Amino acid sequence: MDVDIVISMGLVGVMLAMLGMGLLIAYYGSSKTRNVGVLFLVLGVGLAYYLVEMDTGDVAFWNSMLAFVGGMVGGMLGIIAFLVAIIKS
Amino acid sequence: MDTTLDYDVMNFFVPMLIVGIGVALLATGMFTSYFGAGKSQKIGFALLFFGIVILALVYLMTFGGVDAIPDDTFEEDEFNEALTSGIAALGGVIAGMFIILFVLMKVDSVDDLEDLDLEDLEDLDLDEELKKLEEELNQTDENDNTEEEE
Repeated sequence: MDVDIVISMGLVGVMLAMLGMGLLIAYYGSSKTRNVGVLFLVLGVGLAYYLVEMDTGDVAFWNSMLAFVGGMVGGMLGIIAFLVAIIKS
Repeated sequence: MDTTLDYDVMNFFVPMLIVGIGVALLATGMFTSYFGAGKSQKIGFALLFFGIVILALVYLMTFGGVDAIPDDTFEEDEFNEALTSGIAALGGVIAGMFIILFVLMKVDSVDDLEDLDLEDLEDLDLDEELKKLEEELNQTDENDNTEEEE
């Protein structure tokens, strides 16, 4: 079960990187890198489709997503706290 | 899709939120206390202290038997699963970034020079352009002098 979750969440991470970076590269890239950006976007959408088809019916997957989102939000809050402390000083 | 899924927010979202805050405070505190000077260094030590305290509390509540928050939050098994999920997703993001960087470095990212329209540059006579600029500068100088005399 743990291995399944690790693989699923690893794929979620790769998907997020592909979608985010693909969007940026496809929009701001030069004429050559733009095509690579579109390719990354297609790969990201393909991964998303695979995850939706395979894992989203599973409670453990959504609990793992909650954990990931919680970690991300917590990290952002921590960095905001750091910035507030530095700016207010 | 099953709409009666039982999501465990208190055992997955909340502990990882607190761990995220703790790790961020620890990392920024280490950075600021090492590279900062004077007041900012003191702030760095404070951030480092709070980061260590938060992570220590999470550890004690999960593995040390301290029940600071009731209602079965910070269960050991669920916490391990949540931490594994978060680390796996972060690893996935890092792997994805490396793949993207690898592909981008393999692709020639600079546009071909053939695409540039060099005909305009060839037609440009630099000497003539310089003369025009000098004339414009001289004219502005003369105008300034006449205004000063008046």
